Amino acid sequence: MIDLRTRAWLPREDLDRLISVLREDGRRVVGPRVADSAIVYDEIGTVADLPTGVTDQQEPGRYRISRDANGSAGRSFDYASSPVSWKTFTYPSSVAIARARRDGDELTYEDVGHDAPRMAYLGVRACDLAALAIHDDVLTGGPYIDEDYADRRGKAFIVAVDCAKPASTCFCASMGTGPEVSSGFDIALVELDDGYVARAGSDAGQQLLDRLELDAATSVQMHAAAGVGVAARAQMSEQPGVQTDGLRERLMSQIESDGWDEIAERCLACTNCTMACPTCFCTDVTQTTDLLGTVSESSRQWASCFTLDFARVAHGNFRPQVKDRYRQWLTHKFGTWVDQFGTFGCVGCGRCITWCPVGIDVRKSLVRIAPVKPPLARTQKPVPVSANPGHYSIGTIAELWAETKNVYTLRLKDLPEAVCCGTPGQFLMLDLPGYSAVPISISRYREGEIFLTIRTEGATTRALTSLRPGSQVGLRGPVGRGWPIEEAFGRDVVIVAGGIGLPPLRPLIDNILHSRGHFGRVRLFYGARSPKDLLFTEELKAWAARDDMTVGVTVDRAQVGTWGGAVGVVTHLFDREPIDGSHTTAYICGPEKMMSATANSLAGRGILPERIFLSMERHMQCGIGLCGHCQMGKNFVCKDGPVFSRRELGESLDVEGL
Amino acid sequence: MAVTDRDKPVRVGVVKFASCDGCQLGFLDIGPALLDIGIKYQIIEFGEASSHRTPEGPFDILFVEGSISTAEQAQHIRHLRDRASLLVTIGACATSGGIQALRAWAGNDGGIAGFVDAVYATPAYVDTLERAQPVAELVEVDAELRGCPIDTGQLVELLTATAIGRRPQLPSEAVCVTCKRAGRVCVMVARGEPCLGPIIANGCGALCPGMARGCYGCFGPRESANGGSLADWYASSLGLSDESVAAKFAGFTAWAPELREVIDARGGPPGMRATEAVRSAGAVGLAGAVEPAEAAAAAGAAGLAGAAGAPGLAGVVNPEAARPEGGVA
Repeated sequence: MIDLRTRAWLPREDLDRLISVLREDGRRVVGPRVADSAIVYDEIGTVADLPTGVTDQQEPGRYRISRDANGSAGRSFDYASSPVSWKTFTYPSSVAIARARRDGDELTYEDVGHDAPRMAYLGVRACDLAALAIHDDVLTGGPYIDEDYADRRGKAFIVAVDCAKPASTCFCASMGTGPEVSSGFDIALVELDDGYVARAGSDAGQQLLDRLELDAATSVQMHAAAGVGVAARAQMSEQPGVQTDGLRERLMSQIESDGWDEIAERCLACTNCTMACPTCFCTDVTQTTDLLGTVSESSRQWASCFTLDFARVAHGNFRPQVKDRYRQWLTHKFGTWVDQFGTFGCVGCGRCITWCPVGIDVRKSLVRIAPVKPPLARTQKPVPVSANPGHYSIGTIAELWAETKNVYTLRLKDLPEAVCCGTPGQFLMLDLPGYSAVPISISRYREGEIFLTIRTEGATTRALTSLRPGSQVGLRGPVGRGWPIEEAFGRDVVIVAGGIGLPPLRPLIDNILHSRGHFGRVRLFYGARSPKDLLFTEELKAWAARDDMTVGVTVDRAQVGTWGGAVGVVTHLFDREPIDGSHTTAYICGPEKMMSATANSLAGRGILPERIFLSMERHMQCGIGLCGHCQMGKNFVCKDGPVFSRRELGESLDVEGL
Repeated sequence: MAVTDRDKPVRVGVVKFASCDGCQLGFLDIGPALLDIGIKYQIIEFGEASSHRTPEGPFDILFVEGSISTAEQAQHIRHLRDRASLLVTIGACATSGGIQALRAWAGNDGGIAGFVDAVYATPAYVDTLERAQPVAELVEVDAELRGCPIDTGQLVELLTATAIGRRPQLPSEAVCVTCKRAGRVCVMVARGEPCLGPIIANGCGALCPGMARGCYGCFGPRESANGGSLADWYASSLGLSDESVAAKFAGFTAWAPELREVIDARGGPPGMRATEAVRSAGAVGLAGAVEPAEAAAAAGAAGLAGAAGAPGLAGVVNPEAARPEGGVA
């Protein structure tokens, strides 16, 4: 919203008055100026010092300035960002912190006062304001504070200027910090060709604007100003950013990724990224002594987690390899920083990309290490085949075998392609003319084939499982909502199956194992009535043999001497397992009572109800939410489910007779 | 450790081998603080500065300038090693072989005899080894001061720290740290100037980048120096030819393994480049002539401040460079 009362118009020729007033107030004014082939922040006296008509081009590992060829030659803030950030002034690279004398046995400590000059920062971008807010939190958020920083920050007056020309390395929009300035300033300016739309963000800023006696900005000027941010945002939308959704979890689950080694092959561990970063705050205290050891002076200096000495202790180094150090940096910025300070440690200014001497791009590193959408075995949205009752497709039984004495698996071939493009957890309505169709979940997808695992319960299932290879069956689907695998990206996975509940989970397991790198720990807990009722026993052994998957199996009862495994309910299998509920997604399928008990148990381990998924069973006849048989609370299980989160089910799960 | 015994002056010697004497001047450049040094340290041998000589020591600390270039020097450094409690090499020549170590690549171009013939009017009088070696390839070295020349500030830091038995603060990080702390604009990123700074040890105050030049590598490779990646960037992004890349690396510390690898991979220094046939046969570079030895660990352990319980000078010793070699003398 544009608030008419608080926008003023500062004609271009009056910017000098703003600088003069700041200087009259005893402030040193620091702003952009051209030096050393760059637009740097340095002290300025008048607008003549500003980089009017100069812009920057930035790419990974490359920075150049040029006279603006794009027509906005009269603008003074028409660049993206400077080589070093404002921390140069708020948190200087070297600050004296203590002085001590040692005369014989006596020690004297001298107080090193903090008496920074009053400063005004002109041209602060939104990303850099966000960085200052982060530093405020880190360095003055308590319980201990950095006195020198507090002194400098308390005396700073900030004139922010909206970024109109983001570089190719910029990604503030994706980090949610810019490009429009929103808070943390005394005065904010938006630059137009002939002047600036100004607004105050503090009392001090308002008082200063009042002293300039400016006219109100016109609506045309204000709309033009609003367009500056929109244009910058549009530009950034066309270049890579950082996907922040679930980023912390995705990243922290990839501590062992091969990607670290790949990046370390290029990384020079030269520290430039950390030094250029506006939020990196690590420092060393270095001491100098005189030759006699009587006087020592300590100073605080910018340090970097990329140096060997940074994590050195007496007998070694915690991060000897470059990959260790890069991982420390990246996981701090986008992972543990969130735990420590509640925000990312990155504001999207792009300096670490531009000023990396070999052009390592943090956006690409994050995509490599912690991708958002893994390439899954099947990601296509399924197109139901002949979903309507009465319209059936035909498949051929390629093979049929018994899993147990009353559970059979049918391998179907000669299928319409869409049948094979279902998702894990979806089901088919399986039909044999003469019998009533039954819902059967798909227990495996193969190229051009599906597996259906069926327990013989009634006439239809008995008839279906008595067919011979070569026989045809009718089918509709796949239908229903399957397991939301994306809810487990970057997280630990707990899968709990009871009895015939394992087959609907198997395609999910297949997909997880297919894209194993995108998940944290993977654990399967499976319970059956007796050892003879266990399904997929060979597969269970194969899964258990993997070193990236844990499998626990239990049975309700077993004859003495015939079973060497666990006996008891399935929840006992994970009662003593270390489960980090905050980083785990659970998928459960089995008898309703078992699912309810399991869901409650897992909720008790800290897994949120929206991250616990259950596949419900009801009488499903049409499979498309029209016949009404399968209603459960507010849901039709066939259409809205069969997979629901524990939260979606709410109280309906534990209600008998619902 | 005698060095930290407050009652006794520390007997110091400064000697030189194949070098230009510039690093010795680092002592004289200390200025007025040299007088303070006299309280703790007694300089008993310093040919560059005084005609009062005690060439046989014994020395509590012996500073050694220069690389080992002749058989006679090789014998002499072994002799001096026995006369010194602590041996500190100073400068690029002593620590990595120096600019003269480039002759190691003469093999690409007719061997050392060809060089001698080309340079000297009466080659018959010249008796030289095939290579100019860093001191640590022959004897155990306790600490290094890098640079061409050494940084007087680092020298004073080493002397002051040693005087009270603390670990000297001699950085192992990149030159970039100095540039960034000083707010300097990166010459490579902003001007396309090839700079060795990211892989070179800090210590000079980033003199060349401060003058808008790329770093020439006087201080030699820092820890974790990733020369291969930097060389790839020179070629792919700055557009340098293999020969130009090799030329950038083939400077004052060319013989340091991290730089040598790159020089070899890019065909050798200018004027001493391997022919394509030699290169593909894998015979380039004289890496094979240097047998890695196991004395590195011992070298790292004997820090000057070891007696004070600090980690010693392990930080300044480059274990990679400590390669005693038998067959030279």
